[in-house]
Amino acid sequence: MNLRAIGCNVASAAVELRERLAFNPDKMQRAFTELNTRFAAETVILDTCNRVEIYVSRQDTVAPLHIPLMAEFLAEIHGVPASEIVPHLYEHADAQAAKHLFRVASGLDSVVIGEGQIAGQVKDAYEIALKSTATGSFLNALFPSAIRVSRRVRTETGIAHGHVSVSSAAVDFVRQVFETFTDKTVLVIGAGKMGRLTLKHLAELKPAAILVTNRNPEKAADVAKECDGHVVPWQQLDDALVQADIVLSTTGAPEPIVTRHRFDNKVRRRRAGRTLVIFDIAVPRDFDPAIHDGEVSVFNVDDLAREADRCMGERNRHLPAAEAIVEAEVAKFVSDWNKRANGPVIGQLTAEVDKVRDGVVAPLLDKLNGKLTDAEKAYIEGAFRLFQNKLLHGPIAALHEASREGHSGGLREALRMLFGLKG
Amino acid sequence: MTGSLVQNIHHYCVGLSYLCAFLLEIARLLWPARGWRIAGLGFGAAGLVAHTAYLFVQQPSPAVPHGSVLLLAWVLALFYFYGTVHHAKQAWAVFVLPVVIALVALSRVLLTAAPDHAAFNFAGWASGDRFWGAVHGVLILFASVGVSVSFLASMMYLIQARRLRRKVSPGAVIPMLNLERLETMNRHSLNWAFPMLTAGLLVGTLLIPHGPSLSDNWLSVKVLSTAGLWLVFLVLLYLRYGAHVPARRLALFSVVAFTLLLVALVAAHPFADGGAK
Repeated sequence: MNLRAIGCNVASAAVELRERLAFNPDKMQRAFTELNTRFAAETVILDTCNRVEIYVSRQDTVAPLHIPLMAEFLAEIHGVPASEIVPHLYEHADAQAAKHLFRVASGLDSVVIGEGQIAGQVKDAYEIALKSTATGSFLNALFPSAIRVSRRVRTETGIAHGHVSVSSAAVDFVRQVFETFTDKTVLVIGAGKMGRLTLKHLAELKPAAILVTNRNPEKAADVAKECDGHVVPWQQLDDALVQADIVLSTTGAPEPIVTRHRFDNKVRRRRAGRTLVIFDIAVPRDFDPAIHDGEVSVFNVDDLAREADRCMGERNRHLPAAEAIVEAEVAKFVSDWNKRANGPVIGQLTAEVDKVRDGVVAPLLDKLNGKLTDAEKAYIEGAFRLFQNKLLHGPIAALHEASREGHSGGLREALRMLFGLKG
Repeated sequence: MTGSLVQNIHHYCVGLSYLCAFLLEIARLLWPARGWRIAGLGFGAAGLVAHTAYLFVQQPSPAVPHGSVLLLAWVLALFYFYGTVHHAKQAWAVFVLPVVIALVALSRVLLTAAPDHAAFNFAGWASGDRFWGAVHGVLILFASVGVSVSFLASMMYLIQARRLRRKVSPGAVIPMLNLERLETMNRHSLNWAFPMLTAGLLVGTLLIPHGPSLSDNWLSVKVLSTAGLWLVFLVLLYLRYGAHVPARRLALFSVVAFTLLLVALVAAHPFADGGAK
């Protein structure tokens, strides 16, 4: 194994540098070609908004790529001085590089632990490299393993459970109340940024209708256009509240726009006991908190933040289990890969020594022909075979040991040279 | 040998199997692992098989209190098993099994207090003067299933509504069906139970004059509690479809209905024997 993972991420480099190192399709193709022709390296480039990483694998017999060389290469591709890049790059070698990739794919190295988007991005990065014929046998084994490990981590631990952003936590609450959403009406009051993010998550539930109201009709029209909703005049807010099942309120009003008195008199009685969920994420709040009871649930931004924090805490609780899966999978991958690499060498070595043994034993038995019984001949053949096995045990055991430690390439090469094996 | 094994099945075997399934379900919620669920389902299935075998071999009459309660427990055990298989992520068993276990225990207490080993006689019930008594019993049993399911849905509804009122994080507590689903389950159960109960009550009313003592029959706990149950149902239906009261209040009424049902089932049966008693 001669693998390096070199790159920078949100923790090691500021966004200003990361965006300068981002690969567009042309630069990516050029990088694949250059790394292949100059260094005979298999390559996958993982370029997301949080990281730029290059995974390169070369033959065991050649020197690995390292940060200074890669920085020069990146400088050439992106036109950024290497001296600016080097301090922000990190490098993982061999088994540690495989572990890094498995952790990245599983969302364990993400800003939001367990986020699911990265697994798809790793898969996409691999597929782009595969289509560009930039990968070889090693990365073709490594990346599918990483994708499988990420799936395993997600399904066997709670690392990806729940919603960890304030805007998406609303979905967790609303699912406690409603079974289906295709017959529900969502009412959006105001047009704040957080409101739009939350609306995006609620719109994914595919409600029957989205009503949008705002003091400013133009802003209402903008939001309605974004979510394929219908504008309701501000004066008809009470009617819209009667009609709604889920309310998302995010105005900049300095005082509550719906008081308990207004809600009880103009809305509650006309709702015929139907359940209503209100997400009041405006600060100051738009709805009087006293409206909250068994029939009408009012959740404010603190409630959503608390739920998001709880989900994050829950994910962190599953980190050790997820890391254990990654460790086990890395060990398995390294061992499998080395077995695959060692197999031909051990086969050739055994065949070669078999040939030498036969070359010695056959003339000896010919010379002693007539003087030995069949049992004695078999004993001599057995003794030579035993000698051969004892002789080869040391090198083969050393090769397996080196494989376990992840550096069997040099020893394989030494055995080839010592025993005159074909590469 | 198998026959004697089945003969030896007791309330305790049934109840303990369900209890183990319940405890394993609790363990699954506290320490999530696939093994708990499989073991829990195994014990639940064992309890259901033992329960079925007991009913099949002993054939307790649904006309006697311990028989009707045990039969109701069996139907609810089926409901538990179906729900546990189909709602794998929900804490279904935690709500249904305690009711099943309580009914099995109640059946045992009733049998011990007033041993009545009257067996179900299908031939006798299907023909002759006991026919209408059987029809009455079957209708009341069907209504009981509806009331019991409604009770379970209501209990879950009240707990879920309480969580929302207290703004408890959805993932921090035992998983349950959402309010809308529970409300639908409650509504369907009541819509099923009311016609059954009404028809059962009508048949029972027609049978009372054939009883040994007319005044005793009209004033028996059984009749009064069943009539009370019917009235509660009438109020429930009005509140739901006429007054549109919030689902939480309907859930509370459903709990009251279940209590009355238990009284009706446990109370002595004046016309179970086709009016012969």
